Amino acid sequence: MSDERADGGVADSAAPSLLTRLSEHEFAVVGASALALLVFPFLLIDVLGLVGELEIPLLQPVAALLFVGGLVVTLAASVLNKVFPRALLERLAVIGAGALAVGSVLGVFVTDFSIGGYSGLPSLVLIYGIIVIGFNLLLGYTGLLSFGHAAFFGTAAYGAGIFSAQVSGSPILMLLFGTVLATLLAWPIGFLSIRRSGVYFAVLTLTFGQMLYFFALGPGAPLTGGDNGYSDVNVGDLFGVADLGTSLPFLESIEYVFVAVLFLGALAVANRVINSPYGLIFEALGENEQRVEFVGLNVFRYKLMAFVISGAFAGLGGALFVMHEAYIHPNTGYYWIQSGDFVIMTVLGGTGSLVAPVFGALTFEYIANVIPGLSLPVIGSVGSLWRLILGAVFVFIVWVFPRGIYGALSDLVGLVRRGAADDDGGEP
Amino acid sequence: MAIAETVLEVILNGLQQGAIFALLGIGLTIILGTMDFLNLAHGALYLIGGYAGMFFIRETSLSTGYLHSIGVTTIGLGLGFAAAMVLVPIFGFVVGLLMERYVAEPFYDRPETDQLLVTFGLALIVQELIKGVVGGTTFQPASPSTIFGISVGGPITLPIVGAYPQWRLYLVGIAVVVIGLTYLIIEKTDFGLVVQAGTQDSEMVRMLGIKINRSYSLVFALGAALAAFAGLIGISFQTVSPQIGTEQALIPAFLVLVVGGAGSVVGAIFGGFVLGITVAAMTVLASQWAQIVLYAVAALVLLFRPEGLFGSTGVGE
Repeated sequence: MSDERADGGVADSAAPSLLTRLSEHEFAVVGASALALLVFPFLLIDVLGLVGELEIPLLQPVAALLFVGGLVVTLAASVLNKVFPRALLERLAVIGAGALAVGSVLGVFVTDFSIGGYSGLPSLVLIYGIIVIGFNLLLGYTGLLSFGHAAFFGTAAYGAGIFSAQVSGSPILMLLFGTVLATLLAWPIGFLSIRRSGVYFAVLTLTFGQMLYFFALGPGAPLTGGDNGYSDVNVGDLFGVADLGTSLPFLESIEYVFVAVLFLGALAVANRVINSPYGLIFEALGENEQRVEFVGLNVFRYKLMAFVISGAFAGLGGALFVMHEAYIHPNTGYYWIQSGDFVIMTVLGGTGSLVAPVFGALTFEYIANVIPGLSLPVIGSVGSLWRLILGAVFVFIVWVFPRGIYGALSDLVGLVRRGAADDDGGEP
Repeated sequence: MAIAETVLEVILNGLQQGAIFALLGIGLTIILGTMDFLNLAHGALYLIGGYAGMFFIRETSLSTGYLHSIGVTTIGLGLGFAAAMVLVPIFGFVVGLLMERYVAEPFYDRPETDQLLVTFGLALIVQELIKGVVGGTTFQPASPSTIFGISVGGPITLPIVGAYPQWRLYLVGIAVVVIGLTYLIIEKTDFGLVVQAGTQDSEMVRMLGIKINRSYSLVFALGAALAAFAGLIGISFQTVSPQIGTEQALIPAFLVLVVGGAGSVVGAIFGGFVLGITVAAMTVLASQWAQIVLYAVAALVLLFRPEGLFGSTGVGE
């Protein structure tokens, strides 16, 4: 928020500073996210039987037209504005945003609106959200690119799965076991990998992840089920009373509420870490490692801590993932593509802020799970081509918006605000 | 006898795998060394080389994919392997030139992670495009039976090993010649000297008045041509599917890079053969552990000799 003001968005100085101040308060961050999570399922599932569909002819197409048109105009204006900064484009962005807003309101409240999806998807997005929030502590703040976080994700998933079959199916205990296991693994892997930097760090983390992958596939098969995957997951009732699969009005299911609460907890922890003196050193490491060292701090220890914390987040996500899917395979658990997916999600969302990677997780899972069901005019069914679309979106974002989707959105908000200020009579 | 037979077979198999690893590793290492550019699409170049090779060598019948859906049932020129050995590197060279110009160049001044990410995305796009166009089916290896009129198909009787696919011996020979030529280009020509100097200090080379940007394009294209050639070698004895780029090429190339040392051609050649023979040996001893040991070797080198076996520190840090 603060850099928006820096690049000339002087429109109303009170509002951004209020937002900036708010964003530093843990309660505000978590509270706002909780509100967002309350409406989140609406976006991905048709749960809105509330208002009932009004039978007004043409309303649905009009709403859709306003929504899509507004989106396209706003995006186009914002991209063009990067190349040719013109006041006209700012106006256009305002008009587009207005159309988008009207279209969404009409869409949500009058027609049965969702961007497509299925029940279970919101939980999956939040599970990946937890992982990438932790991953961003490492990549975005500390500046370490790990290509081996599937090691912690997979270990926690297998650990929690096997625990549920052998010891207890209590969700809380499963999560605890999986997360502790991943944290214990992150310690030695981090201890060894942190010694190297740059590509060497990335490749070293990758080798550890791949060793676990081939272990799970081959020699470890008696434990993991090898190439058949592990399907003996046996999830019990939450606190002994609530079945996670029970569906709820508005909020999808008990599982979603459970995952959402954990997500908020993870967000609060990450927020507290980042704003603590300890976490500030993570950020300082990302900015300039040498200076941190010259100040007399033990760089190794802080990097290791950042690595272990992000490993624990990946572990929590992995344990939740196996609970959600009731199945885990080396390809989804340990393969380096999975680690790469964490990187993609984080960068897609943006590494500059705490919640930004969650936008990446949403986009990624949307492309992976909803787009394949679509049918396009020329190509036909999208099906397995979703990775092509993902690759294209990813390249586009990295190329044009180095700060990710979140950065692009905040640029957009800045642009619209500037445009609106011009309409109100220019410089205030 | 049995031990000698096994050892010799391991060495032969290791040389084949090692030759591919070395070809891939050289390309990656000169691109990283000279331009400080991390190319995760290197596996995609291998993939392109493999499919281009298949297209030049023979006619392949399709069963899925876009081309099949519009009625094309067979593709390929059926020119044979000798033609492919010339055409594939040229094709790879051109792809490399285009890639340097339109993908790599805008990213030279961007952070290392951006380079990694954009090329990773590109690798996904290439893989999925190929899957979409010619289908995700696995094709049989395209091993030739004659080349330049010499019969290279069928088995040959070797002294200790016994019957052995003749083609695989030729393959090692061809790869060794290409690797040797590359070595000579890098070590003995003026172009190679510029490349080596660029690896150590590209700023200084520029200040000496050498147009290093032109060398950049050539180095990138050379690396791409080698990767494509590796793909051609690969598909001549291994099955072909859209995943070969990420599964069989990209990660081994990076392992070779770190084992041999970033920026070192000799290191890449040596690292390639070390890893190739390691895999071949472990496949015989304990096949389930082969890949694990491969990664463990790379991890150990990284931990105890971070500059690689032949590299200098500083590249890619």
